[in-house]
Amino acid sequence: MSEVLAAARKRDLSSAIAEAHVIVCTGSGGVGKTTTAAALALGAAHAGRRTIVLTIDPARRLAQSLGLRALDHIPRPVKGVEGLDAMMLDMKHTFDEVIDRHAEDARRARRIKSNRFYQQLSGSLAGTQEYMAMEKLYDLHMGGAYDCIVIDTPPTRNALDFLDAPKRLTDFLEGRFLKMFLNPGLKAGRTIGRAVSFGTGVFMRAASKITGAGVLEDLGDFFHSFEGMYEGFKDRAQAVYKLLSSPGSAFVVVATPEPPALREARYFLRRLEQDGMPTAGLVVNRVTLPPPPSLKGLSARKAGAAIAALADGGPEQRAAGELLSLHLDRVDVARRERQAVTKGLHGIDPQVLVDVPRLAGDVHDLEGLEAVGAYLYRTT
Amino acid sequence: MDVASLLDRRLLLVTGKGGVGKSSVAAAVAVASARSGRRTCLVEVEGRHTFSQLFGTQAWDFSEWEFRPGLFGLSIDPEASLREYLDMFYGARHLSRVVVRSTAVEFATAAAPGIKDVLLIGKVKEMERRRDDDGHFHYDLIVVDAPPTGRIVNFLRAPDATTELVNLGPIRTQAQTLIDMLMDAERTNVVLVTLLEEMPVTETLEGAHALRDMGVALGPVVVNRVMPERFDDDERKAITADLDPAGLQAMLADAGVRVSPAGADDLLTLAAGHLGREELQRTSRELLERRLGLPLLELPELYTDDFAEREVGLLADAVTDAVTPDEVS
Repeated sequence: MSEVLAAARKRDLSSAIAEAHVIVCTGSGGVGKTTTAAALALGAAHAGRRTIVLTIDPARRLAQSLGLRALDHIPRPVKGVEGLDAMMLDMKHTFDEVIDRHAEDARRARRIKSNRFYQQLSGSLAGTQEYMAMEKLYDLHMGGAYDCIVIDTPPTRNALDFLDAPKRLTDFLEGRFLKMFLNPGLKAGRTIGRAVSFGTGVFMRAASKITGAGVLEDLGDFFHSFEGMYEGFKDRAQAVYKLLSSPGSAFVVVATPEPPALREARYFLRRLEQDGMPTAGLVVNRVTLPPPPSLKGLSARKAGAAIAALADGGPEQRAAGELLSLHLDRVDVARRERQAVTKGLHGIDPQVLVDVPRLAGDVHDLEGLEAVGAYLYRTT
Repeated sequence: MDVASLLDRRLLLVTGKGGVGKSSVAAAVAVASARSGRRTCLVEVEGRHTFSQLFGTQAWDFSEWEFRPGLFGLSIDPEASLREYLDMFYGARHLSRVVVRSTAVEFATAAAPGIKDVLLIGKVKEMERRRDDDGHFHYDLIVVDAPPTGRIVNFLRAPDATTELVNLGPIRTQAQTLIDMLMDAERTNVVLVTLLEEMPVTETLEGAHALRDMGVALGPVVVNRVMPERFDDDERKAITADLDPAGLQAMLADAGVRVSPAGADDLLTLAAGHLGREELQRTSRELLERRLGLPLLELPELYTDDFAEREVGLLADAVTDAVTPDEVS
C-alpha cells in the first residue's frame, strides 16, 4: 500500500484551491485544522479568487493575524491580502438568523428567542455547532460574493458528527419524542394510536416527576413555537448536504503523524468515500522530515563512534557530538512517523497526501501561513 | 496543593486541549494509583473506546470490571446511565416502562445534553460515595477522562444549569449533591493536561481561569511530552555563537565523520530548530508557573514506535516518581 501513499505524496492541493467552491477542513482536535484552512484560503486568494475563510474557534493570535478581533460574525477583509476575507462563526447569532428566516412572522421569532429553553438549547442542542457551521456555509454560498469558501469544522469529539449534523437535527425534529411532545393532548383513537397515547401520558407524568412542574410546559411551548419551521429546517439541511456532496466541494482531512489522529483521519476518509463526498486529500501536520540529501550518507555506526569520541572534548566538541545524535534521533523519529502514517492509512487511498513539517513555533502570522501554504500547494 | 497529594483525592477529572494526550495521562495516573495500592477506577465518558484500544482489552461497557489487579474500568454511556437512573426511581413498576425509557432517553440525549451530563456525573458520584460492608469506600480513587478543555466548563456547570432550569424533583435534588462533590477541594480536583507549546498553554491558562471562576479546585498541571534538554549552557553557546559550518566540518572530520559543507550547514540548521523548541519549552514552562501558581508534573516524551499499555506504564512510572516523596537516605 505504500506505493499508493508514495503516489499520493507526489500530488498536492493546488487544484483544490484553484477550482473548489467549498473547501471543508476536518480532523480531530488539536491537529491544526484552522491553520490549514487559513493557509488554503490564502492560496485561493493568491490565485485571484474571491475567498473567505470561516473559522469556528481559532487561536487568538492566528485570529488577530487574520484581522479578527472579536466574535463579531461579520466577514472582515484580511489586511495585506487582496481578495481574502475571514470570519468567525458565532453560534448564537447564526441560530437567531435561522429562526428569523424560518419563522412565519417576527412575533413568533421573538417568542422563540425569548424562551429559556431556546436560550439553553441554542448553545447545546445535539450537533448545533456543526449545523450552524453548515448554515453559515450555505448562507455564504447563496450570497454569491465568494468564489471559494474555506471552512474549518468544529472540534467535535468525533469528526464524523460533522457530516451527520443535518441528518441528526432532522431525525430529532421528526422523532417520536417530539411528536408526542407536540401532541400531548390528543385523545386516544384520534391521530395517534391508543397505546402510544397511553405511553405519552405516562411519559409526561414520569418526566414531570424528574423535572418538576412547569418545565415541560415551557419545553412544549418551545417546540410548539417551532411548528411550521421543521420543513424549512429539513429542506435546508438537505440542500447543505447536496452542496457538500457536489463536485464543486472538496474535503481536506487533517491529521498529525500520531496514531489517534491518524485513526480519526482514517475513519473520516472511509466515511467520505462511503457517502460519496468529494475528497481532496489528507494533510499531515507537524511531521518530522527525513534528513536532507546532504546528510543521507551519515550512517548511525560512523556517527555513533564519533559521538563517543567527541563526548570527552570541550564544549564545541560536545556540541558537535550532540548535533550528530540529534540528527540520528531525527532520522529515527522520521522513520517512525512514516511507519505510523503507512500503518494508519492501510488500505486507504487519500489521493493527495501532503506532509507539513513541524515548524519552529506556532503559526500566527501571514508569513507563517505562507510557509505552510508552500507545502500544501507547492508554490514555486 | 502539591504534586505528592495528587492521588489523595477521591475524584480526578482529567482534561486538556485536543491532541495533548489527555486520555493517556488519565490512564497513566490510574495505573500509578492502582500500583500504590489504591483501588482505582478509570472512567471513560465519551464512548470512544480509547482505553480498550490502549490496554488491548475487550470493549468496555457500562459495568465496572477489574481489567488489571486493583484497576477497574468503566465506559459511561449517558443513555445507559439514564436507563439506570430511571430504573432506580421508577423501577419495573410501570407497565409502560419501555415507552417511558425510550422516549425519555431520546429526550435527554437529543434535547437537553445538560441533563445527560448531570446523569453522567451522577453515575460518578454514586461510585465515589459507594461503601463496602465494612464501611470503607469501595474505591479509593476515581480517574475520569473528562471532556476536553473546550467543553469542560459546560460539562461541570451542567448540574448548576439544571438547577436553574429544573425547579424540583429528583434531578434537582441530585444536581445539588453533584455540585457539592465537584466543589469540594478535598474530594475533587481537575487535572489540566498541556504541552509546552503555545496553543495548549494558552488554552490551559484560559481553562484554569474559567474553572477557578466556577469554584472548582485544580490539581497539579500535567505537562505531557517534555523533551529532555540536550544542550547545556556552554554547548548552546558553542552552537549559537562559536561554531560555523567550516569549523564543524573540521571537528567532525577529526572525529572520523566526513560531511559536506552543505551537510554541516544542515546540521547547524537542525540544531537551531531544536534550540528554538527547547527555548519554547522553557518560556512555556515559565509562563505556566508564573500565571497559574500550580505545581507542574512533567511527563517525558517517549519516542517509542507505538503507544499502548507499555507506554502508559512508562508514564505511570513518572507519575509514581513525582508523587513519592524523596527518601532520605
